[in-house]
Amino acid sequence: MQLKVNKTNLKAMLTTASCALLGSTANASTEESWQFDTAIMHYAEVDRVSATEAIIAGTKTFNNDEVLNLKVTIDALTGASPNGATAQPTPQTFTRPSGNGQYTVNAGDTPLDDTFHDTRVQLTGQWTQPLLKDYIVSVGGNFSKEYDYMSASLNGNVARDFNKKNTTLSAGMSFAYDVIEPEGGIPKPLSAMVVGDADDPNFEDDFNKTRIGSDESKSTIDLLFGVTQVINRQMIVQLNYSYSTVSGYMTDPFKIISSVNHNGEAQAYLYENRPDERTKHAFFGQTKYHFDSGILDASYRFMTDNWQIDSHTFDFRYLIPFTNGHFIEPHFRMYTQSAAEFYQPFIAQDEAKPNFVSADYRIGELDTYTVGLKYGMPMGDGNNLSFRLEYYHQTPKSNGIQAIGVLKEVELYEEVDAIIAQVTYSF
Amino acid sequence: MKVVNIYKRLVTLSLVCSAVGLSGCTSLGVEPWERDLLAKKEMALTSAPIDASLDDHIYFSKEATSGGRSFGGGGCGCN
Amino acid sequence: MRTIAIVITALILLVTHAHATDNTSLQYKNIIKQYKGNVIYLDFWASWCTPCRKSFPWMNKIQKKYADKNFKVISINLDAEPNLAKQFLASTPANFTILNDPNGKLAQELQLKGMPSSFIINAEGKIVSAHVGFTDKKKVQYEQEIEQLL
Repeated sequence: MQLKVNKTNLKAMLTTASCALLGSTANASTEESWQFDTAIMHYAEVDRVSATEAIIAGTKTFNNDEVLNLKVTIDALTGASPNGATAQPTPQTFTRPSGNGQYTVNAGDTPLDDTFHDTRVQLTGQWTQPLLKDYIVSVGGNFSKEYDYMSASLNGNVARDFNKKNTTLSAGMSFAYDVIEPEGGIPKPLSAMVVGDADDPNFEDDFNKTRIGSDESKSTIDLLFGVTQVINRQMIVQLNYSYSTVSGYMTDPFKIISSVNHNGEAQAYLYENRPDERTKHAFFGQTKYHFDSGILDASYRFMTDNWQIDSHTFDFRYLIPFTNGHFIEPHFRMYTQSAAEFYQPFIAQDEAKPNFVSADYRIGELDTYTVGLKYGMPMGDGNNLSFRLEYYHQTPKSNGIQAIGVLKEVELYEEVDAIIAQVTYSF
Repeated sequence: MKVVNIYKRLVTLSLVCSAVGLSGCTSLGVEPWERDLLAKKEMALTSAPIDASLDDHIYFSKEATSGGRSFGGGGCGCN
Repeated sequence: MRTIAIVITALILLVTHAHATDNTSLQYKNIIKQYKGNVIYLDFWASWCTPCRKSFPWMNKIQKKYADKNFKVISINLDAEPNLAKQFLASTPANFTILNDPNGKLAQELQLKGMPSSFIINAEGKIVSAHVGFTDKKKVQYEQEIEQLL
């Protein structure tokens, strides 16, 4: 009984808060039509980063079928992330991206920078409504802020139904603007990381010589065209084409690449540099099929871009309902990508420096898979509780560049294991 | 030049596909009163939007591809 | 094995036959004949249709409001599974006539464009207007159209 009272109070409180945001007053009728989804998710990589993300999303359907979605996301990230340098048979010392201090990595270990601590707050709003006969329009915005990063975006979408709503065509556009302001400034592309005595009076001057400014920005335009088709009573299919063009700063200011001698020994660490233009095309197909025993959700995505990255993503979920309203949903996802043309695991010191280079395994050749399980149950009054547990495995691979000298003895492509755990409550 | 060519081919391909799709569509589909299964929440294309947004964030941070289902957009400086 | 097959076939025939006889009466002309002289709000709904649920309080209201003016709300349930309609009605009461059209015969005859669908029919049995959907804006319009016929 106590629980029930608390639950109602929470909903009333959130409703009041949402109404305050909207400048309207909470009354009995609005109270009933807000639907809230809350979730907390924990992502943890073995020996690397872990992130906790909390979401609260409210949806209100108005009396003329207008729908308002508001969402607040907060996430906190801590832990260690690969800095891009290769492992070595000897210990290595690196300067922190901020210039404040250094860290040392053991012999044979993939160098990880453990200075990642960030908290992000994100606000999302979306308004969707019918317009004329057969049209649905939607506009939305998004703003997120973390210590060294800001992102803002606006989007618009229009959909038209044909053929008794069996066919829907949609077109959308989104514009995003991101600003990065890393502590310690923007490193000069391909300049060598200063790794001297941090207490040396000249250290700060030397460090500053590798900096070219305090912030950088990028803008993204996305176009999305989709067809949704009802096939029969059990089956629906969606096909999307999306075009995305990004211009501006896409370099990761925290990433470096090892410059090695003929024996594979690191002589310097250069700050990476990526092109400032990227154009992507993605084709996405999804189907949902209602079998007698459950619902299959299968999708495939192909992406190709002018960095020469091609990727394929396969995703399968199968929701099995039980007679008591509970359900179980196994999930399997498979992803494979080819390397960006400027990806290299290391640079040979005596070769000419390329214009663009990155040793970030996330734009190298990479295979990943995810297996997971979701379990959900109704809690009465239309409320739902669900748990999700997934295992995510990343296998970075060689793009064909041969390891030389001592690099043959170390692991250049370390695999990563991660666990995703999530609890969702809807009321 | 090569990229432009691929782009042109892809656009042509997608236009042809959608034209074929549309003309075939009138014979597909259901009557409005036959949507009992399709009307289920679980049959929505994005039936778990919260899961989808959390997943998008994870894979956006770890892989070189984002979007497709919906907008890829900007994002975070996440590692 | 053969006996089982015969029994099953017989059962299937029986069931389909039962449905068939049940549905011959559910034709537009029969409904009009039965309620001749009334202005009719003919509504099509199903348990899985969310906006349909919203229309029930309003249909209850107008049935009560215009009851003495030869006005009838007739609603046609399109659930293939009658139990789902029963559950729906347990939580969403109705004070108007409900007929079942589990095979969508009448829906087919009137060529429904969406759900919920409604038809406003004058006292002569002619369809004056056809509507799809139910919202606050639409219900005002529907009620005005009904009032004009009374």
